[in-house]
Amino acid sequence: MAKLRLDRIKPLVALGVFLFAWWIIPAVVKSFLKASFSEFQAPAWVGTSYLDDLENFWALRSHSKVELIEAGREVARSKSLYQFNSQRKETLENEIQRLEAILNLPSRREFRYEVARVVRRDLNAWWQQIVIRKGKDFDIPFGAAVVFSGGVVGRVVEVGAFTSRVELITSPNFRMAANFEGDERPVVYQGLPQIGFGDPLGTVGDAPQDVVASTQMPLKLVSTRLGGTFPPGLMVGRVSWLEPGNTGIFQAGEVELDARLLSLHEVAVLIPLDPIDPENDVP
Amino acid sequence: MFLDPRAILLFGANALLLYLTMLVNSALVGWSIYLLMLGPMLVFPVLYLRHQSYFICTVFSGLWVDAALPSSFGLFTAGFLFAGAFIFQMRIRFRAESNYHLIFLAHGVNFFCILLVTIAMGFAYITSLGFWLQVFVTSLASHLALLIVAPWFFNFERMLFALCRLEPEPEDLPIL
Repeated sequence: MAKLRLDRIKPLVALGVFLFAWWIIPAVVKSFLKASFSEFQAPAWVGTSYLDDLENFWALRSHSKVELIEAGREVARSKSLYQFNSQRKETLENEIQRLEAILNLPSRREFRYEVARVVRRDLNAWWQQIVIRKGKDFDIPFGAAVVFSGGVVGRVVEVGAFTSRVELITSPNFRMAANFEGDERPVVYQGLPQIGFGDPLGTVGDAPQDVVASTQMPLKLVSTRLGGTFPPGLMVGRVSWLEPGNTGIFQAGEVELDARLLSLHEVAVLIPLDPIDPENDVP
Repeated sequence: MFLDPRAILLFGANALLLYLTMLVNSALVGWSIYLLMLGPMLVFPVLYLRHQSYFICTVFSGLWVDAALPSSFGLFTAGFLFAGAFIFQMRIRFRAESNYHLIFLAHGVNFFCILLVTIAMGFAYITSLGFWLQVFVTSLASHLALLIVAPWFFNFERMLFALCRLEPEPEDLPIL
């Protein structure tokens, strides 16, 4: 009888011991455990991503030669356009540098673009994150900005050996400084819990009272260099309505984000060429 | 034997289930549907294994899930052990040879996991209607999918036992 009773409380004792052990285990051990388990799983995701690429390759191989020739022509047209744009960009950059030198402006942060495939998307009510196929092997830093052709994607929140986790701007935990296009005054952007149906949304706060947005003329919310993570001018979303915020001093409103954020295949990580040194660069 | 070989098989099956679920989730992102199917992972270890093997299998499965999902590390490990301790105490009441009770248990544990992650991760948005709507859709989709996935998963685990010529019957059941 006594043995039966002991058998019965064994799971509860084990649970209690585990919870106590978990409570006293140092954070370093937990981080090590998490990293170890994550790195064990990473090859499966990287492998899946490569298999996906192979599948696309074979799908493309099934195209006829006529289709490939047509696609080649399109690429050639785009290439000549981009070559022209590249020359123009170089001229404009030289001009900007010349004017900056005349005005004695401080130097801007420069970034290196590291293009990475999305291997996994985890978007739900509790978290909004994606996993990309590059990590420490490509010097992806923690906190780096992630962008795509439609603008800001998010920020790197975890870096593994071969993969990195990115928090999307749709996540309620994501917050950044931004400004409306043509207006240098900073506002605060934050993600929202997503309803799940329709386009993703965010929220903007601390907008000055004189800013007016309407559905006919929505305002473009873009990134600012404040904070140092994002280069200025990257699209965040559109704001078509602003109303007085909680304090009554500033305005707040919803930000309509790019619907493509939910089906990303490729993103670019912005790696600062001159990382901020907290000891020397911060006054 | 220190560790029942079936515990290793069950841990492997759990890792496979998680991997497949996340593959499906990744593909379903455009439809705003997310599946959380952790319930079936706990059922076989808690009903089939001795306490020591069950504990090791559950801790490793929990840590595996915790490492894969962006929730706070240790949340699912503790949650699995909590639910496991509860079921382990009354496992004599469940018939493991057919899927009926197992599916019922899988739904119960899955609902517990959804509740756990909602409390742990969504406490700040508890007043948001959008948050609750998405939690409801996720729960509904997960439990509907579980109606198909759970029987398949349990039969798959039984098949693994048969393939590896391991004992297909639950062990260490208390004597009535």
